[in-house]
Amino acid sequence: MLKLPQSSTDRKHFVIVGALVLITTIVLGFFLLAILPVKAQHSVQAEPIRWLFQLHIWLIAFLFSLVSVFMLYSLFVFRKRKGDESEGEHFEGNTALEIAWTVVPLVLVVIFAFIGIQTLRDATAGGDDVRVEAVGFQWSWTFNYPNGVTAAEMVLPVNKPAEISLRATDVIHSFWVAEWGPKQDLVPGMTTRMKITPTKEGEFKIVCAELCGLSHWSMLATVRVVSEDEYIAWMDQKIAEQNLQTASR
Amino acid sequence: MAAVTTSAQAAAVHHDAHAGHDNYAAQLRMNRLGLWLFFISEAFLFGGLLATRFYLWGDTRPELDQEIGLIVTSVLLISSVSMRLAETAMERGNRKAFSFFILLTALFGLIFLGGVMIFEWGLFPAIYEGHLTPWGDKYGAVVFAMTGMHALHVVSGIVFIFIVWNLARKGSFSKERHWGVESCAIYWHYVDVVWIFFYPALYLIGTAAHVTH
Amino acid sequence: MQLTSLGLVRGLIGYFAGLVIGMATVVIFRLVLGMPAWDEEAVWVGGIIFAIIGFVLAIGAMSDWLKWTRGIETPMHHGPPADKPAWTRYFAVDYNHKVIGIQYGVTGLLLLIIGGSLALVFRAELADSGISFLQAGTYNTFLSMHGWVALAAILLGVGGMANYLVPLMIGAEDMAFPRLNAFAYWINVPAIITLIISMLYGWDSGWTAYPPLSLRGPVGYQMVFFAIFTIGLSSILGSLNLIVTMLMMRPKGMTLFRMPIFCWAILATSLIQLTATQLIGQAFLMLSFERTLGMPFFNPLYNAAGENIGGQPLLFQHLFWFYSHPAVYIFVLPGLGIISELLPVFARKPLFGYRWIALSSLAIALVGFLVWGHHMFTSGYGEYLRVIFMISTLLVAVPTGVKFFSWLGTLWGGRLSFQTPMLFTLGAISVFLIGGLSGPILATTATDLFLHDTYFVVGHFHATIFGGFVFPFFAAIYYWYPKMTGRMYNETLGKLHFWLMTPGFWLMSLAQMTAGTMGMRRRIADYDPALGVEPVHLLVTIAGFVIAFSILLMIYNLFTSAEIGAIAGNNPWRSRSPEWQIPSPVPEHSYARPISVVGEPYDYGLAGSQYIAMSGAGDD
Ligand code: HEA
Ligand code: HEA
Ligand code: CUA
Ligand SMILES: [Cu+2]
Repeated sequence: MLKLPQSSTDRKHFVIVGALVLITTIVLGFFLLAILPVKAQHSVQAEPIRWLFQLHIWLIAFLFSLVSVFMLYSLFVFRKRKGDESEGEHFEGNTALEIAWTVVPLVLVVIFAFIGIQTLRDATAGGDDVRVEAVGFQWSWTFNYPNGVTAAEMVLPVNKPAEISLRATDVIHSFWVAEWGPKQDLVPGMTTRMKITPTKEGEFKIVCAELCGLSHWSMLATVRVVSEDEYIAWMDQKIAEQNLQTASR
Repeated sequence: MAAVTTSAQAAAVHHDAHAGHDNYAAQLRMNRLGLWLFFISEAFLFGGLLATRFYLWGDTRPELDQEIGLIVTSVLLISSVSMRLAETAMERGNRKAFSFFILLTALFGLIFLGGVMIFEWGLFPAIYEGHLTPWGDKYGAVVFAMTGMHALHVVSGIVFIFIVWNLARKGSFSKERHWGVESCAIYWHYVDVVWIFFYPALYLIGTAAHVTH
Repeated sequence: MQLTSLGLVRGLIGYFAGLVIGMATVVIFRLVLGMPAWDEEAVWVGGIIFAIIGFVLAIGAMSDWLKWTRGIETPMHHGPPADKPAWTRYFAVDYNHKVIGIQYGVTGLLLLIIGGSLALVFRAELADSGISFLQAGTYNTFLSMHGWVALAAILLGVGGMANYLVPLMIGAEDMAFPRLNAFAYWINVPAIITLIISMLYGWDSGWTAYPPLSLRGPVGYQMVFFAIFTIGLSSILGSLNLIVTMLMMRPKGMTLFRMPIFCWAILATSLIQLTATQLIGQAFLMLSFERTLGMPFFNPLYNAAGENIGGQPLLFQHLFWFYSHPAVYIFVLPGLGIISELLPVFARKPLFGYRWIALSSLAIALVGFLVWGHHMFTSGYGEYLRVIFMISTLLVAVPTGVKFFSWLGTLWGGRLSFQTPMLFTLGAISVFLIGGLSGPILATTATDLFLHDTYFVVGHFHATIFGGFVFPFFAAIYYWYPKMTGRMYNETLGKLHFWLMTPGFWLMSLAQMTAGTMGMRRRIADYDPALGVEPVHLLVTIAGFVIAFSILLMIYNLFTSAEIGAIAGNNPWRSRSPEWQIPSPVPEHSYARPISVVGEPYDYGLAGSQYIAMSGAGDD
């Protein structure tokens, strides 16, 4: 094993630590990405979320490695040897260093704030080509379309910007489709909105993400993302059904 | 919470110095700091109530009896003057004047409370028909919350006054050593100052809204 | 010895007497007003309020003050009770800050065990999908209780460290207001009893108690509201006491920048506790009034025209988080103070950048007041608020980073030794690091829209809480154990505790984060196996039990070592701090003579330097 320098100001320490930080950053980054699989993938709004999440992971990997490698390295190199009763080296601080590690994170924070604003805009922007109202109550959902159609499941055409307006009748709930990314609370006394452009056809679960009492855990509904044609067909059928109902009443 | 304030003040008189030498002055400084910290803490409570008022009412306010509001506010402000007079009397060693002025202060406090209970709260419909209830709407709820919390402090202040008055009557306090009186006075002024913030928030700011139920 | 001569027993009798009297009072009051006599809600509210007061009066936490109001002098009592065994003083009102500190600490530990055990119960339920033995309602109660009991444990644990250590560290005889100190401790006890009774009735909103849900549930809520209100009152009074103590009772020569660094942490913590706590007290009182009297603060109320003339649910969230965010810094700042305090001792080196560390505590506390909205990104408040709260939240990373880097500077070039307290300190640093670093990912709003109310958040805050409180708290317990008992804990068991708990913890919190990104929501009794999180949940559960087992080891260690541990001596750690220069266990009057400060606190390795001089008698 290579011989480590003993003086704390020796350059060699920093070269070794630097190299180790680099290696652990890469290893840790891939490890974290592997154990933190972000489910948000299937909407336009999920893209910026996933991208920013991964950026964060790299930042975390780097900062975690930076601190922990330095720490483990000093634990190893500067550990007290058997029988050594001497004190450590005496230095009380270093203002230049302190300023550096205040300013550098500050710069990072500014950068992330800037990126954060951009991604927030992207993750909440969209159109209202399709509009649907989701009403949450203890412990279920209904979905109302502007043309009067009401359904227990939500159906949306793929790749069309949709605006979902959200209303709660009793307590606070939260509308979430994990595959789509963002969630939005439903607050009694307010109407909240969410913009989403689904990019993948299929069936997804709508879950309630705000504790709302006894059966919060089972406050579920289905959303079906279908092709444009299928959507129109479904809508026509619904209209027919509901007209039928009104006629027979 | 009155008990808390009392504790801070009374510790001065009774703290026995383990070291043996007289540390009244040191204890007095600690008591003062303690009391002011308590006020800072309470300021957040009252601030929270004001925040509630602005959050729920925005630039509206309920229709309240303006004359009554002005009168009770004046009474409270005057009570601060009489409290100051009581304190100066104690500083001069004039116990008679002290008793008079501090009881006068309590009387003003009681008048204020009466005004709040009869006119703002309408507790005695025989005298005055109030139109707000705590459960009616957001106006009633916030009016009762703010005036209620303030009234609680006035009540504790009055209790405090009677305790101090009684102690003075029995011969406690002196020209030099009267932290009990001092803290009672500061507390009273503080409760007054709170009202100076509450009064405009309840009575003056915003346009009077008429709610239909 | 009679049972009722024990303060705690009298207090309990007072509690139940108060409960009955309070309930009866409400019933009579209602009869007089011509209402139906029984209303569960109102009767319980009356009962609880009287019970808490009854406890405090019966145990005698206010006796001296009540005497003062009648002009009766009450000399300060020192020492163990003359006519009873010495241990009874821990179960009665005692004015010595060392007794009160231990009372706080032990109660905190007890609550940690209760809260943790509740977690173990519901973790067992979550180990696989499907409801096996906890019904949804019970699950919610357990979860909510776990949250509040554990948080109360922290508040008391922090109180324990602060009360025991601060006066010792600044060489003061006691706290500024010893009676207030005892009062502030003892009101916690009836509050905790009330909190635990609430489990019988259940409540299901999580610790956050958002209305309108919390306005609907069972009467257990009322108990929680008053319990937390009372614990909050204790926080306020305790912090007031600490601030005065630190500002006014320091010895000659101890300028603020020569205080042991832990005191700075407590100063910053106390400033938060003193102020922000009022807001949660107020919020919970408003909830209670809305439930009992129907005052519409938070629930919308519509008139005939369909306008909302009632309250708004989001108002509560603002009030709640205005306390509860700064509160998370109450949880960690003392812990970070412990880390800063212990590192120099075990590195035999000065604390790197003392002033920066001291001021960063204040900075964290102050910025912490501006960020509460990051818990509400999805709540539907104004769009611009999201941006403001995102930026302010990210800013907290800067002063926190200063601490981390300064700790590295402290370790660098030291002579490090690794006894149990040091291990827990290092563990704390690494655990808090991952917890802290998972903060910014929540702070940038876009990612939070996905992560909010998932297990990722659960992982984040267990890591911050364990790294910022639990690990440092254990470090502190091991470190000051010889000072408190005069005996050494068992080093092997201590190390075993560490080497079980740390991997256990890493597994638990990383697995929680994994579950979160896979779409696992918080606060659900059952989950969809299709999510694929079942194995992950099993890991969390196993890890939870490993942690619990390791804590059991610690408790065994602490109990047995008090009897059989090696005699520790005055200063086993060769620390410069004042409390280590006096005998262990600390005598009734800690310092026989006033001390004075003649040097810097952490000048390890500087030949001939001295922090305090004990023989201050001459220059007094
Ligand atoms: C001890 C408690 C504690 C602490 C210290 C923190 C610290 C932080 N927390 Fe955490 N938090 C909680 C306890 C805590 N939190 C709890 C209990 C909840 C959930 C409540 C509930 O809903 O039940 C929560 C929830 C929570 C949320 C809301 C999540 C949601 O519900 O959607 C957010 C969002 O912004 C957040 C952010 C942060 C940030 C940015 C910090 C920062 O203070 C972290 C700062 C530290 C670092 C960043 C690491 C060290 C720094 C460096 C190495 C420097 C360089 C770094 C950078 C430049 C990034 N927290
Ligand atoms: C101090 C704070 C603290 C601590 C220490 C813990 C400790 C633990 N917590 Fe918890 N937790 C919170 C604070 C804390 N938690 C909060 C605030 C919430 C949010 C609540 C809410 O959403 O409202 C939460 C929520 C929470 C959840 C989310 C539940 C949900 O959303 O549905 C989970 C799930 O895994 C969890 C798990 C655990 C586990 C396994 C431990 C383990 O570490 C526990 C380890 C065990 C002990 C510490 C006890 C020691 C036991 C013994 C010594 C054994 C003696 C007893 C017997 C033999 C029976 N906690
Ligand atoms: Cu609706 Cu949870
Ligand atoms: Cu927060």
